[in-house]
Amino acid sequence: MSHPAVTSPLWDEIDITDEKSETLAAVHRTFAGDVWFRFRHKPASVVGLVLIAFILLFAIFGPFLSNHSYAKQELAFVNIPPRLDLFMIGDDAIYVSRNLKPIHVASDGTLLSALPRIEENLAKKVTSYDFNGQTVAVDYSVRPARLIDPSGTPVTETVTVHNKTYLLGTDKLGRDLLTRLMIGARISLLVAFVAAFTNLVIGVLYGGISAYIGGNTDTVMMRIVDVVATVPLTLYVILIMVVLPRDSGITSIIIALGSVYWVNMARVVRGEVLSLKQQDYVHGAKIMGTSTWRILTWHLIPNAMGPIIVTVTMLIPSAIFIEAFMSFIGLGVAPPMASWGTMCNDALEALRTNPYQLFAPSVAISLTMFGFNFIGDGLRDALDPKLRGR
Amino acid sequence: MAKYVVKRLGMTFLTLLLIVVLVFFLMHAIPGGPFTAQRELPPEVEAALIAKYNLDESLGRQLLHYIQGLLKGDLGPSFKYPGMRVNDFIVQGFPVSARLGFVTILFVLAASIPLGIVAALKNGKWQDVFTMVLATVGVTIPSFVIATVLMYFLSHKLGWLPAFGLDSPVSYILPVLALGGYSMSFMARLMRSSLLEVMGQDYIKTARAKGLTEYKVVTRHALRNALIPVITILGPTIAALLTGSFVIEKIFALPGMGKHFVTSITNRDYTTILGISVFYSTFLVVMVFAVDMFYVLIDPRIKYE
Repeated sequence: MSHPAVTSPLWDEIDITDEKSETLAAVHRTFAGDVWFRFRHKPASVVGLVLIAFILLFAIFGPFLSNHSYAKQELAFVNIPPRLDLFMIGDDAIYVSRNLKPIHVASDGTLLSALPRIEENLAKKVTSYDFNGQTVAVDYSVRPARLIDPSGTPVTETVTVHNKTYLLGTDKLGRDLLTRLMIGARISLLVAFVAAFTNLVIGVLYGGISAYIGGNTDTVMMRIVDVVATVPLTLYVILIMVVLPRDSGITSIIIALGSVYWVNMARVVRGEVLSLKQQDYVHGAKIMGTSTWRILTWHLIPNAMGPIIVTVTMLIPSAIFIEAFMSFIGLGVAPPMASWGTMCNDALEALRTNPYQLFAPSVAISLTMFGFNFIGDGLRDALDPKLRGR
Repeated sequence: MAKYVVKRLGMTFLTLLLIVVLVFFLMHAIPGGPFTAQRELPPEVEAALIAKYNLDESLGRQLLHYIQGLLKGDLGPSFKYPGMRVNDFIVQGFPVSARLGFVTILFVLAASIPLGIVAALKNGKWQDVFTMVLATVGVTIPSFVIATVLMYFLSHKLGWLPAFGLDSPVSYILPVLALGGYSMSFMARLMRSSLLEVMGQDYIKTARAKGLTEYKVVTRHALRNALIPVITILGPTIAALLTGSFVIEKIFALPGMGKHFVTSITNRDYTTILGISVFYSTFLVVMVFAVDMFYVLIDPRIKYE
């Protein structure tokens, strides 16, 4: 009987020395590595990260892959839903739109052309159209409207296909909703990142300076923050947006958000710096003659980075929300530019007849908000494990 | 205590004054006058209008006039609707908004506190998971999305609830859900985490060791302290409901202040924007002050400095 040779080092005898028995088994991880370890072990944060990565790709590369423009109006194809109920005449398919216009559709769901109208009989509620030299008619005396084929009998054969030309359908001006959704994603993410960055810079400096200098400067600076924060920040954003010129759209939103939303960041940073500035290494730096500015930027702010990062990730979804909110009440980007808020607002008018127009932007906003909130929660737990589950 | 109240009152007035001045100058920084329109007015008419509304005076004097008016409770005329005063909009709109806001606050409190308590007591069980999922959804999804989706399914598809107006008690359901969803979720989360923290304290162990029933431990000992953060958040909650009402009143076509405000924004009716903002700020500052006072009364640990 032969045994396979056991070569694994696991089977070797260990020589125990004093030196070796004192070593600790755990792998050494840096702080960032530790945070990343805790972050990726929470399923929700990973889902959030994947979601946001996907939305970023969608926003950056989507518009290049699309055959449509976000602004071009295709008035022949207005309010076309993503799923089409087609009438079949032989091998040809015809879609009768909500406003009773027949459209010739290929059987795979590609929109071909709107049929030219021949005659409208208002009394009988029938309109006839030219279809490759033959006459078809839309009979809207009954509900739902029927299609009458060239021989004069109503078409009974119907199929339902996906809209190949416009995957998410078109809006009331015949613009492709998918392309508009991608452009809207660009606007939302751009506003979110730029506004978050502006608030980061202003808030960190304001809070840091206020806390580090202390005394009367701190009292006055924080009193200003208190006054600003008494009224909902949304109200300020609205007022600033009203004052800024109308056509600048996205720039105004960024300016408006950047000018007030830093107050939360300033408070967070102030709280951190107040406790950090009592630490010995700050005194050490002071004794060595380091300038105030350098102590602030090299010693205090980097040490307060944890709460700062968490505040920024929480700021991003609120910036996205404010942009959508402003566009929704008519203060956002100027038409024809698309934003998720304006898309929701446009869809609201036609909610009863074309509900599909509402779902795409709503789902997009909700998923983005979920993504950023999950990342924010995950980061908070990873940076400060004491807060886990709160 | 009296000293604290006086100091807080003084701060409140100062805050209000600063906000009025800020908003006033903001509104006057708008390029073009209030009567700039597509169709140009004859010069005499414009001059007469400018004289009527004292726009030919210096900015400082205009501000003084405005503040004098405010002290008498007059928010000035509307520039876009001749003959209307900003007070008229508030008199029309405020009762509607206040009714909706009051019902929403009641709903938020009645729903979030029990949810948070159950979630904390059943920590880790399905009740907790359910509450946390609901709260996460409520905090993340914007109110106008909740409102439109609910409206589509519950009133258009199923026809259970009216889609607009506030004529019957059932018509409150949709606006209240949409308006209060965020605050309800936020408060439920806060209630849960605050109660969880309190339940871990030593005095709860003591209460249990004395042999009190779990019901008494929770209601007599834990809840008293756990409710304090929830009360603190009442002020900001009122603020959230206020700004939320801009879109909710627009979506459900309610003739409240939020709708007037949004309409005045669309019409660029500057005095109305200014007036309603000042009214909102005053209302909020007063509410926050009231909540602060209440807070001091119930929590003896707070010192009146």
